Amino acid sequence: MYLNKDKIVIVSVQQKLLMSLVLLFFIFCSLSTHANNKDVKYVLGDVTKIYMSSMTYIFKEQKLINQRGGNKSKLFGSEFIENIKIIYNSKYSEPFPLIDHKSKKVLLQSMVEVMEANRELISDEKLDFKGIIPATFAFQLSAKLSTKGVGLKIKFTRTQESLRNILNKPDTWEVKVMKSMIKKPEVFYDNDALLNGKAAYRQFTPLPMVPHCLRCHGVPAQNPLNFGKNEKDWTDIDMTGFKMEGWTLEDFGGGVSISIEKSVIDSNRSYQ
Amino acid sequence: MHYLKCLKVIILLNLIISFQSQGEKLRVGLVEYPPHLNFDMKNEDAPLYKYVDGWLNNLSVEIEYVRLSTERGIKEIQNGNIDLLFPLDVEIDGVKNLETPLFHSVPGLCFKRKKFIPILSATHRFNNLLVGVPTGVKIVSALESSKALIVELKGDEAIRRGIDLTQRGRIDAFYHPYPVQVYQRENPKYQEVACSSFHGYQNPVHIAVSPKLSKNRVQLIESAYQKALDAISYDYYFATRDKSKYAKTH
Repeated sequence: MYLNKDKIVIVSVQQKLLMSLVLLFFIFCSLSTHANNKDVKYVLGDVTKIYMSSMTYIFKEQKLINQRGGNKSKLFGSEFIENIKIIYNSKYSEPFPLIDHKSKKVLLQSMVEVMEANRELISDEKLDFKGIIPATFAFQLSAKLSTKGVGLKIKFTRTQESLRNILNKPDTWEVKVMKSMIKKPEVFYDNDALLNGKAAYRQFTPLPMVPHCLRCHGVPAQNPLNFGKNEKDWTDIDMTGFKMEGWTLEDFGGGVSISIEKSVIDSNRSYQ
Repeated sequence: MHYLKCLKVIILLNLIISFQSQGEKLRVGLVEYPPHLNFDMKNEDAPLYKYVDGWLNNLSVEIEYVRLSTERGIKEIQNGNIDLLFPLDVEIDGVKNLETPLFHSVPGLCFKRKKFIPILSATHRFNNLLVGVPTGVKIVSALESSKALIVELKGDEAIRRGIDLTQRGRIDAFYHPYPVQVYQRENPKYQEVACSSFHGYQNPVHIAVSPKLSKNRVQLIESAYQKALDAISYDYYFATRDKSKYAKTH
């Protein structure tokens, strides 16, 4: 068999070129994977902060939610989201994040859907306390997100012995994280966790106890239902119907647990 | 990436051509499910009809809609006399659903306003509460394991009677599988009660598919639905729809 020397040279150059391209491709993939891991933290962080901003907004608007009548349009649709953006800006002193991942888009849409589902209740002019408080809003939001099939799970939880809603029960990972967190409350990130048996990124953000938490979870003197009443007439049942726990600002306030399945994190980028 | 997109387009075109070449129209059963689909309104004014019709129309096939009771609809789809049936919150033997539910219904309790319990995870408040439940309706575990006193309400008119008994104070509360159906003013079936929901106990509401529908057709319908979902989910469509067209009835 006769081989042309020029052809051999060309084939050799082509092979080298191909090898270089393959090498470059692997370097690119490796770099982008590292970047993605970094991005995941941003996605989880953004989702947590948006979620917490919405809870703050719900607390801020308790008077409007529970009043009979009046214009309540800022609790619905795009106005609701715009107000959460304002809260986010002031709470974190940073601009509202870009909606560059499906989980953020779905979170904002779910907020609108949850408020819409409560429209009749919020607009009921014959009721005072509607039961739309930060914790119940957060739970409704979590329940709504669980139906979206986007591999995103958010939960506002705390240690099991002090839970009010059994459906907020912490899972094994959360129990373990909270144990260490009570001693040292700081954001915990885990890029090697499991969620429903699937590989997931998980993050737990502790929430400090603040004075408004104690209106329900503190002592009877902090219960707004007792304001202006004689001490002998005070109740230890808060406005939501639960017995007050007697917590103080030094107690563990629970936290926001967020999980995203690894299989969905990269396939849902570039939303706006 | 482009190859993948091209491949998807080719498959979709193939399916559309094969769908159309079958030459049959698509027969779709509608079940009343206020406020999403109200038989007191024209189909064109019902948000759920508008949403589904929007993407079914992309199939470029003639569609015939027929309004049915739930029981009749179930029989018709089992027998293959209709191709699709929605919205449906029950599983039917031998009938599959499109993969993604349209939305989720959340059960709840309806009260006279004076006895309203806003947060239903406070199950200790159910102690000795007389709660009417329509026969055959499965209640959520939170209510089942509480100390509420359950009264079974028999008959076809159980929901209407339950609401009536609640309004007259004969029972403390009425269990509704989807209280939005009676506690929403834009709904003609609106009742003077206040309802709260068992959040976290949601049930999927589906589009059922006839077992006689060809695999190709099901695949095409599924593709069209998934494409619509990528653009907007029904939940979000419903939440952000133009409500000015829906006159208040009370």
